[in-house]
Amino acid sequence: MKVGKRLLPLVLLVAGSLWAAAADRYIHVRVSNPTNHELVRVNVPLALAEKVIPAINHGELHDGKIQCGHFTADKVDIRAILDALRTAPEGEFVTVQEPDNDVRVAKERGQLVVHVIDKKSKENVDVTVPWEVAQALVANTKGDELDIEAAIKALASAGDVTLVTVTSQEENVRIWVDSNNSDK
Amino acid sequence: MILLAKLGIGVLGTAVVAGAAISSEGFIHVRVHEKHPGGHNVALIVPAAVVPVALHFVPKNQLDHAPGDLQQLLPVVDAAIPELQKCRDGVLVEVIDPGEHVLISKSGGSVVIDVNDHDETVHVSVPLSAVRSSLHQIAEANGAQD
Repeated sequence: MKVGKRLLPLVLLVAGSLWAAAADRYIHVRVSNPTNHELVRVNVPLALAEKVIPAINHGELHDGKIQCGHFTADKVDIRAILDALRTAPEGEFVTVQEPDNDVRVAKERGQLVVHVIDKKSKENVDVTVPWEVAQALVANTKGDELDIEAAIKALASAGDVTLVTVTSQEENVRIWVDSNNSDK
Repeated sequence: MILLAKLGIGVLGTAVVAGAAISSEGFIHVRVHEKHPGGHNVALIVPAAVVPVALHFVPKNQLDHAPGDLQQLLPVVDAAIPELQKCRDGVLVEVIDPGEHVLISKSGGSVVIDVNDHDETVHVSVPLSAVRSSLHQIAEANGAQD
């Protein structure tokens, strides 16, 4: 019993450390240009982004929310649509095939997946958004706002995920979240 | 004799406390190496605790070269620095260009900037706490100018 009491602080300390380590998550951005060998790497702790975003009040970004100029949602209930999509079975929602580009929107493994192929510029864009993040983006917003602060909070509790991949002849872009403090 | 010993202990104690206070916030390292023949090599190590004090003696009109929106940036700095202090050491930003390499990283309680291009190499290491207090002072001086 005494040993148990003595071990308790140690167990709490270890559990606390593990929790802290798990909470330490990073968003990574990597932009590379295969032709001129330029490379940009950015590694930002999500906790830092979560604190900094609400402190920026400049341009379209205010109080952690960004105003999207071309995004009209006056007569569309985005929350209802997202809720319907969340409960919908997995599969393809939208497939557009045009001479210039192909667009595919689907729900895969509980995530919203958007895949765009621009045939002219030979550019591939893949966007993966966990549902909780997509919902956080619009949960406490009105009109043409997106809640970046809430999305970052939601990202912190989502698993490791590649959010954006852009592959083209000119440059490759990858944005992802994991628990590593470097992109290696 | 005893009086002298007491005096010595007092002086030594004051020196130790002053040294500890000066080095408590860490040190600012600046190293510049110009690559061209006859280029300068500059290396500076300054206690970070001295910077806010030194800024008091800089004429206010010399501080008005700071960006006009520095005051607006202070909430961002205040929000970022405590989180940066908490986060693990590592690379925050790296830019590799055919002619230039820029690395911004966090090491210990400092932010470290390394630039290596055709002309020079620059290494700057500044304790995060010094960044915060110095920017506040510069912004205040700018505010007083306005």
